[in-house]
Amino acid sequence: MTHVVRPEGGAPEVRAREVIRSPERRVPAIPNSPAADDLYEQDEYARTLLRSLIRAQLAVTLSVLIPAAALLCLYPLLAVLFPALGRAHIAGMPLTLVVLGGGIYPPLVILGFWYVRRTERMEQRFVDLLESHD
Amino acid sequence: MTEPASIVAVVAVTVATVAIGARGVRVSRTPEDFLVAARRVPPTLNASAISGEYLSAASFLGIAGLAMLDGLGALWYAVGYAAGYLVLLAAVAAPLRRFGAYTIPDFAEGRLNSPVLRRAGTVMVLVICGFYLLPQLKGAGLTLQVALGGPYWVGVVVLGVVVTGVISSGGMKGITFVQAFQYWLKLTAIAIPALALLMVVHHPPLTALEGTATPTFHRITRVEFPDAEFVTLAVPTTVRADGVVGGVRYDGPLTLDATQHRVSARTVLTFPAGSRAPTVTSEAVLTASQWESPLVRLNGKLIHPLAATYGILLATFLGAIGLPHILVRFYTNRDGPAARRTTALVLLLLACFYVFPAIFAVLGRLEAPQLYTTGQTDSVVLVLPRMASFGLLGVLLAALTAAGAFAAFLSTSSGLMISMAGALSHDLLGQGVKAFRLSAVGTGVVATVLGLLVGGIAINVLVGWAFAIAASSFCPLLLLGIWWAGLTWKGALCGLALGGGASSAAVIATMAGVGTTGWPAVLLGEPAIWTVPLAFITMIGVSLLTRSSVPADVTRKLLALHLPERIRLSDQVVDSR
Repeated sequence: MTHVVRPEGGAPEVRAREVIRSPERRVPAIPNSPAADDLYEQDEYARTLLRSLIRAQLAVTLSVLIPAAALLCLYPLLAVLFPALGRAHIAGMPLTLVVLGGGIYPPLVILGFWYVRRTERMEQRFVDLLESHD
Repeated sequence: MTEPASIVAVVAVTVATVAIGARGVRVSRTPEDFLVAARRVPPTLNASAISGEYLSAASFLGIAGLAMLDGLGALWYAVGYAAGYLVLLAAVAAPLRRFGAYTIPDFAEGRLNSPVLRRAGTVMVLVICGFYLLPQLKGAGLTLQVALGGPYWVGVVVLGVVVTGVISSGGMKGITFVQAFQYWLKLTAIAIPALALLMVVHHPPLTALEGTATPTFHRITRVEFPDAEFVTLAVPTTVRADGVVGGVRYDGPLTLDATQHRVSARTVLTFPAGSRAPTVTSEAVLTASQWESPLVRLNGKLIHPLAATYGILLATFLGAIGLPHILVRFYTNRDGPAARRTTALVLLLLACFYVFPAIFAVLGRLEAPQLYTTGQTDSVVLVLPRMASFGLLGVLLAALTAAGAFAAFLSTSSGLMISMAGALSHDLLGQGVKAFRLSAVGTGVVATVLGLLVGGIAINVLVGWAFAIAASSFCPLLLLGIWWAGLTWKGALCGLALGGGASSAAVIATMAGVGTTGWPAVLLGEPAIWTVPLAFITMIGVSLLTRSSVPADVTRKLLALHLPERIRLSDQVVDSR
C-alpha cells in the first residue's frame, strides 16, 4: 500500500511511487468518534440504529421516486383512455406541448430539491443520535 | 450553402475547447489530478459539467427533429432524459460517492468481490458507450454537411481527431472545465435563436396546429429534392419548377394537379405563399391532431402506443443511472451531500434546456414543412434560423446553432471516450497515464472509422437504444447493489448477461430490419419494456438461489454506501484506483 500522505486540503508531501489511486477516505470530522462497523459488531443499540438509517434513507428515496413515476405514467394513460385529452388546447397551445414542453419539469425539479433537504435533515438527526449514544 | 460565419463559429468552439482543456493541463500537476480532477470540483461547476457532457447530439438536434417528424409525443425522450436524474439523485448519487468507486466496474468488483463481474462490467461499458458514441460522430458529420456544405466524412474525422487529442493530452481536469463551458454554450446556442424566432418572426396562427390541418407554406418556399420522389398534392398548385417533373424538363411556372407526380433528384420546386405542403411517399406527414398526440410513434406509426411510450419512459428514466461516462463525474464531488446537490442542480439545468427543442419542433412544423418533403427534419435546429429571412442576424444565429451542435458532439464524445479508454486501459493495458493515452488514441481511431459507416442510422434512435441497454444492465446492478444486501456476484453476472444481451440483441435485430409491425416492432424497437424486468428478476432470482455467495463483509459494504461522512469506518472498504 503506497497511499500518498495528504494533510487535509494541502499538497502531497510524500510520493512513494507514481501509481494512480484515489485519495484516501476523508478523515472523519470528529476525531474521537467510534468506528461505525466496530459498533455494529459489538453493540445491539448501534446495530438497530445503523439498520434503521438505511431503511429511513430508502423510505425517503421511494417517497420521491414513486410520485415521480406516477406523474410520468399518468398523462399517456389518460390520453389512451380519453383520446380527446390528447387533442385539447390551452390558450391556443396543444395540451401536449404545455405538459411535455415545460409543465412537467417544475414538479420534477421540486421533488429533487425536496429530496435533498429531507435526506440531509434525516442524516443530521441520525448523526446526532449516534453521537449522543457514545 | 457554405457560410463563413458558421465555419468561424465551429472553429471557435473547437479552439476554445482545446484552449480550456490545455488550461486544465497546467492546473493538474499530479497523476491523481490527471484522472479524477482532484475531487475539489464545487457542485455548481460539477453540475454544469455533467449537464454539458450529457446534452448530446440527440438533445441538441434529435429531439426537435423527431418531435417535428413524429409529433409532440417524441418530447417524452426529453422528459425521460431529465427525469432520469431524479432516480440518479434519490437512489445512486450519494451512496456511490460514499462507496468511493470510480467506475461502474470498480463498483461491481468492490461491492461483490468479483473480478469476473468486473470484466463483464467492462464489456458493458464498451457496448453502451459505443452505441452512444457513433451517433455523436454521425451528428458531427451531418452538421458540417448541412451547415457548412462539406462532405460527410469531414465532420466525423474533425470530431474524432479533436476529441482524441484533448483527452489524451488533457485528462479529466481539463475536461471538467471544457464540459461546464459547453453546457452554457449549448443553452445559449439553442435559447437565443429560439427566443429570437419567437419574438421577431411573424408566425402563422397556432390554429394551424388543430384538427385535420396539414403543414402549409407560410411564405414562398424553395424545395430542393435530394433524391427522386413521388410527390402528391392535395389541391392543384402552380409552382416554379427547375428540373425534371414527370420525365419532362421544366424551367419556369408549372401547374401541378392534385395527383402524384414523379420528381427527379436535384429538382427544385418553388411553392407560393399559402400553398399546402405536398406529401411524399417516403415520409408520412401527420395531420395536426395526430401530431399533437402525447403518445410515441414507431417509424411514424402508432403501434401499441401505450407500450411504446412506456418503453421509452422506462429506458430513459432508468437508463441515465447506467451511463458510464456520467457516473464517473460523481467521483469528483467532495462527498455524498455534494453529490446530491450536484445532481439536483443537473435536473434543474436540464429542465431549462429541454424547453427549447420543443419550441423548435413547433416552429419547424409551422415554418419549415419542406423538411418533411425532403426528409431532413433532423436538421430543423440548424435550418430554421437561416431561413427566417433575418439577414445578417440570421447568419449569426445560424452560426450560433452550428457552434452549439458541434459543442454537443464534442462534449458527449469526449466523456464517452474517457470512459471507454479508462475501461480499456485499466482492464487490458494496465494502469497509468501512458496506458490511458494509448487507449484513448486506439478508441478514437476505431470509433472514427465506425462513425464513417453509420451515416444511414437515425441519431435519436441510436441514443435511445444506448439508454435501453444501460437500463437493462447497469441500472439493476446499481439499484440492487446499493439497496439490497442479498445480491450475489453470480446473480449480478447472470442479470448483466441476460438483460444486456437481450436488449443488445433486440437493438441489433431492429437495425437489421426484423419486426416492423405489431408487437415484434414494439418489443424489439423499445426493448426496455421487457428487458429491464428480465434483468431485475434474473438478478434477484439467481441471487436467492446462490445465497452462499453473498459477500461475508456485506454489512460493512452497505455501511460504506450509506453512512454519512461524519461517521467513520475502521478501514477503507474499496481500494479503487
